[in-house]
Amino acid sequence: MHYVLHYGQIAPYLPYLLGGMLISLALSILSFAGGMVLGLAFAIIRDEGDPIASRLVRGYVAFFTNTPQLVQIYVIYFGLPDFGVLFSPFAAVLIGMTLNAAGYLTEILRAGLVSVHIEELDAAATLNMNRLQTLRHVVLPHLFRVTMPALSNQYILMTLGTSMAAIFGVEELTGRAFNINSTTFRSIEIFTTVAAIYVVVTFIVTILLALFGRWAFRARVPVL
Amino acid sequence: MLGFILAEIPRLFTIYNVILLAKAALTTLALSAVGCVVGLFCGALLTVARLSRRPALWPLKAFAFLYVEIMRRVPFLITLMTFFFGAQVLGFDFSPLAIAFVSTSVISTAFVAEIVRSGLQAVRPSQLEAAAVMNFSAWQSFWLVRLPQAWPIILPPVFAYFVLFIKDTALASQAGVLELTQAARILNTKGFSASLVYAAVLLLYFAISYPLARLGVVLEKRLGAARHSRPGRPV
Repeated sequence: MHYVLHYGQIAPYLPYLLGGMLISLALSILSFAGGMVLGLAFAIIRDEGDPIASRLVRGYVAFFTNTPQLVQIYVIYFGLPDFGVLFSPFAAVLIGMTLNAAGYLTEILRAGLVSVHIEELDAAATLNMNRLQTLRHVVLPHLFRVTMPALSNQYILMTLGTSMAAIFGVEELTGRAFNINSTTFRSIEIFTTVAAIYVVVTFIVTILLALFGRWAFRARVPVL
Repeated sequence: MLGFILAEIPRLFTIYNVILLAKAALTTLALSAVGCVVGLFCGALLTVARLSRRPALWPLKAFAFLYVEIMRRVPFLITLMTFFFGAQVLGFDFSPLAIAFVSTSVISTAFVAEIVRSGLQAVRPSQLEAAAVMNFSAWQSFWLVRLPQAWPIILPPVFAYFVLFIKDTALASQAGVLELTQAARILNTKGFSASLVYAAVLLLYFAISYPLARLGVVLEKRLGAARHSRPGRPV
């Protein structure tokens, strides 16, 4: 064991790695946004849609939360070309992550929907709000407030999950780490540096999300 | 194209391929199970260190805190690659399976430690005060009072984490461990259509994970019921 760590050798690559982190973040933000849109629609269907649609959503959630995201992307990236459907690596990973996120986010958002008090809905009905107004002014504010911690957590997990994009050749943070590794062979230094970048960035994101939550869901005292 | 793929199915499920897939499925389960069992043990140790009130233990407490906070923010793939390439660079000759076991244990220790901590902290302080009043030692109050009340709270989320982690171990294929995803890659290299083998493996994962997930829900209900139906006054 005569191994000397040389972090100096990979210091020049730091801007390259941080650029990769931006791609990772872009991937996680896009797939989270897509997953939220799908997940919200699915949660509403599951909560009050017709029995068949609700059953389909349940099947979707069970399937996507019980299979690995990696293999889902394998099917999209390597499997679909058998049927003439070709995606770029980035698109395949983005689609896979979005579909996967939709499964988990549906569960989180549905738990939030169920927690809306019946009295709140009654009050909305008394005010003669239609369904869209009830959703916009009563259900959604409540939903996002109660699910905020779980959503933040899911977003952090998804940010970590973007590292598997490297397997399909997307040059995000992990992909760039693989690139540097194959040219410098300073494996321990590179992967611990990359781990540190993930830790620092997700930590900052956690703090920002917590601050955002405090600002967005602050107690609003009506000014009379 | 669909006709071609359907025609491959009988060829895919020959006895040797089925044995390959069965072994791979066992490895997949073992990776997650070993990770969680080691995680439960090490995680409990970390948590006990973190919750102890002895001033002399502060370096251990700081280590437990940093370990949990940092390791939960490192992607599993990065941990795996650090150990995989690190062992090579340092000249250790470990099998990919051993490296995968170490990586799963290291990661799940952090996650399980957090579950154990929330479980132990959910025990009401009045229970521990009662133990102190009865002159229980620290060990007695932990073993006889705290743990029996905490484990029904700890077990369901740990089991849920075990089921969740089964899916994460798919990444071990990147280190060359022969688990389900790697088996699919091998079969694909052997000439079977990618769509067929990956879809088949996807279904195998589902067949493993879904019943376990349902079992976890049943477990949670049973233990929850046992906890709530206990007779006695609220304390």
